[in-house]
Amino acid sequence: MLRSLCSRLVPHSLVCAFTRGMSAYPPHYIEAIFSKKKQLNLKETDEYIKLSHMPIKAAKNDESESIFYNELVNKMVNYITKGGNKKLARELLTKSFECMKRVQIERMNLNPDAKDTIIADPEQLLIKAIENSRPLLQLTAIKRGGVKYQVPIPVTEKRSYFLAMKWILEAAREKERKVHLPEKLAWEVLDAAYNQGRVVKKKNDLHRQCEANRAYAHYRWS
Amino acid sequence: MLARHSLKLPRLTNMCASFCTATAEAAAEPLYNRPKLAPTDYRTGETNTDLHSKVHEAKFYTIAPEIKKQLFSGGGLPRQYEQQVKTFTETCLMVRPAGLELINYIRNTDFKRPAIRYVLYGDNGVGKTLIMAHALHYGLQNNFVLVHVPWVPNWMKRPKETANAAQEGFIDLPFDAAAWLVHFKTQNTNLLTKLQLKTSKDYVWSKREATPAGSTLLELVEHGIARIKFASETIAALLSELKQHASEDKCKVMVAIDGFNAFFHPETRVFGDHKQRITPDRITLTQPFLDITNYNWTNGVCILTVDKIGMTEGFMESYMPRYLLGKEGFEHLDPFVPVRVDNYSDKEFASCVQYYLDRNWIQKTPEGFDEQLKYLSNKNPYTLMQLTRSL
Amino acid sequence: MAVALRFGSNFLKNNINYVQNICRITDSYTAQIQASRNFGTEVTVKAAPLAVKKQKVSQAMKAYLERARENDEFMKTQKLEYQIGKRHLANMMGEDPETFTQEDIDNAIEYLFPSGLFDKRARPLMKSPEEVFPARKAAEFDETGRPFHSMFYTGRPNFFKLLYDIVEEMNNLNDLEERMLRRGTRADPNQKVDFTGFQWLTKDQLEAILVEQINDLEYTNFTNAMDRLVSLPFSYKSRDFINKFAKPLLDQTKQLEIPKPQFDAEGRQFVTTYECLRKTARGDVTVRLPGTGKITINGQDITYFEELQSREQVLFPLIFAEMLGKVDIEANVEGGGPSGQAGAIRWGIAMSLRSFVDQEMVESMRLAGLLQRDYRRRERKKYGQEGARRKYTWKKR
Repeated sequence: MLRSLCSRLVPHSLVCAFTRGMSAYPPHYIEAIFSKKKQLNLKETDEYIKLSHMPIKAAKNDESESIFYNELVNKMVNYITKGGNKKLARELLTKSFECMKRVQIERMNLNPDAKDTIIADPEQLLIKAIENSRPLLQLTAIKRGGVKYQVPIPVTEKRSYFLAMKWILEAAREKERKVHLPEKLAWEVLDAAYNQGRVVKKKNDLHRQCEANRAYAHYRWS
Repeated sequence: MLARHSLKLPRLTNMCASFCTATAEAAAEPLYNRPKLAPTDYRTGETNTDLHSKVHEAKFYTIAPEIKKQLFSGGGLPRQYEQQVKTFTETCLMVRPAGLELINYIRNTDFKRPAIRYVLYGDNGVGKTLIMAHALHYGLQNNFVLVHVPWVPNWMKRPKETANAAQEGFIDLPFDAAAWLVHFKTQNTNLLTKLQLKTSKDYVWSKREATPAGSTLLELVEHGIARIKFASETIAALLSELKQHASEDKCKVMVAIDGFNAFFHPETRVFGDHKQRITPDRITLTQPFLDITNYNWTNGVCILTVDKIGMTEGFMESYMPRYLLGKEGFEHLDPFVPVRVDNYSDKEFASCVQYYLDRNWIQKTPEGFDEQLKYLSNKNPYTLMQLTRSL
Repeated sequence: MAVALRFGSNFLKNNINYVQNICRITDSYTAQIQASRNFGTEVTVKAAPLAVKKQKVSQAMKAYLERARENDEFMKTQKLEYQIGKRHLANMMGEDPETFTQEDIDNAIEYLFPSGLFDKRARPLMKSPEEVFPARKAAEFDETGRPFHSMFYTGRPNFFKLLYDIVEEMNNLNDLEERMLRRGTRADPNQKVDFTGFQWLTKDQLEAILVEQINDLEYTNFTNAMDRLVSLPFSYKSRDFINKFAKPLLDQTKQLEIPKPQFDAEGRQFVTTYECLRKTARGDVTVRLPGTGKITINGQDITYFEELQSREQVLFPLIFAEMLGKVDIEANVEGGGPSGQAGAIRWGIAMSLRSFVDQEMVESMRLAGLLQRDYRRRERKKYGQEGARRKYTWKKR
């Protein structure tokens, strides 16, 4: 009930959409806004004044105003993390970025005319790759009359980002054992950024399947 | 086509909104206008190391690809630096005060006196190997015969193959020795053919093989390469010959050894007969190099590096020469001239960052990034390189 | 009359739980209804004016009256004892019994009975009986069994009366608005009540006032109703009524005091924050103002942290407050791992920087979550589970 209270007085974006099952903080604490840009944006709206009365949680360990911080990249690091070894995950992603950069710079050196069109910024490449491999629809099994039909349903934005990153990582982990993850990941991301490769193929396959199962779409509401 | 199914647009929750903005911002971020340095501020066209002086401090100078191949094809540049060279398509070294100091000393040495030993020391990643590379380049350009060991701990920790040496209880490293001889050859072929130094005595390798006195050093080297079994002994012979020739004023010798403290480490990873670890002084390769770093010869200089990385765990407390060399090593090298290599200064840091920008290595330039880099890396060259990997 | 009595006794027989639930004495709320101030403990059973004659009271009724009377007397004796005890205590402490306030009593008790118990509620206390004993409702119905409150049979008369009051206020305001509209005047926007800094009473507080249990759903209804009341344009006319149920939220930034910088031997300003804790790391941080951006941690450079993330964390408050090259930092930290230590130093730097930065920036830092102590600790592993939350793999057989 306090949450509903808070949500009335505080911007909706700051209250967790999911229940606070795992927090050491009392429920009325809001998430920290550590980005200066976001704070400036808030100042222009009315909600800034309301925030001065709200207690705020502490900023997390991996969030900061440093030049290396990017929300998507951070999420990617989290997905690569295994067994809590985030340090290693970050190293792997950095190496992967390095690989990507080197490949792109080589390409730039080979055709100097296309210098403007070739993006060498690894973060940009990653973002582009994820954008290119985000699905719009996904299939769910819905049981009607004893038969399970694969019904196409829309995908929330959050889930689409998650699926894109998961597919890229899966594809990267699948290949040969001798080659290490950073290089494999770099190649996957480059492919996806140029709309080629396995991940984009997977997304397109999924879209085609959804298109094919168009007839079952009404089973959602039955 | 898919849009025809009135898709209920999902509610934008916090993260998605911020993802969208993250992508939008990243795409539309204006280039931060930092003070741009003109190319002459961080580069110089002076490739003659002789003429490098304080004017050229904190500037990069290029090494021509053929010279680089000649000097460093057997090693000598750190692995990451090699990759960087490949990506940047050019080899650029920075002129740093420590390097200038060293070269100044060498330039002003009195070659009639016994050989002086210079020891480069400093923390991890501060630039010792590259300064040695700078000095090597200087040596090449001034007709020194280069005796350059790229990285001693490679021999101690990752030997390609071991074999029992001719001498009792000693271990040979044939492949490594042969590789080094190849490296020596590439570096010094031109000079040696010009100087035509001859061996002074007979070297008998086995019943059938012998190198007579009066053959050129090049022949000696080639024999060593061909007959790997005797490579280590060849090295010993070669170095003693060089010492003699240098003392007789026939040539100048520059000895450059990276990771010298590995010769004095309590143990190596080389296994002997009964799977026992061996100390470095039981390896045949140690002896000739220890010999040549003595001061009982003239007309030469020794540039040595002591590095914390060369030691194993438990011996990495400090980067000071006395600690890394131990009692033996210190006594062997005493007296020597220590040359300290530090992190970048502000000027060097700025020029390094500019160089990276110029070579398209740093792609993202948000506001205040160089300050952040400065404090994050503490102006350490190696850390800066690591940090800019993902930028 | 007999019918009334039979009805009353029938009522009692049929609704025993009501009778058993009777003992609750209100203080102010029913006082409002009955327009008498704090008749708290006195359970004077107001008989209905007609039933003056002596009637046979049923056993349950008798018991109820008996209990009410006992409670009444009990409270009276407690009060008396409290007063006497207060005077004794004042004499013991050598103070004037007349001007001995509650605060003095608290201090005296703390002095005479020092207790190291962690829970403040477990320590010895001496307070007036109204605070110690929970509030109970006064008699809800008279001898004949007729309830006083018209909404008694809802089970929660006070609460529903409150809701009705809100609706009445709203109706009044609406009528006022209509009248004003007819006249052509509008509500004065300047006098509009600003509720950004206010919060409605929590469920527990509302329960305490009404002396009744409230549902979550009912509480939500209450808050919705109050919000609607507030949103009306003429709500400032009912400000008094609204203020009874609004609690001002504390302005968070002004809560903590910002320490003043001291001056050291070289004439530089510095601030030290001790007890910087995060997980198991303990540290203290000194920030000196006219500085060059030098960072020293345990005598070493920022290279003390090998991980990039830890270094970013240490620099985060400096970058945020734009004090990167302007201050010097010395930190001593021990315990915990790299992440915990970095977090401790980050908090220390942020707290110290408050003294060198203006109020707006302090508020920004608070919003960024830099000034909040991170109380999260490692959650313990439970038996029957593999970790703190992870359960063992479920096997069907």
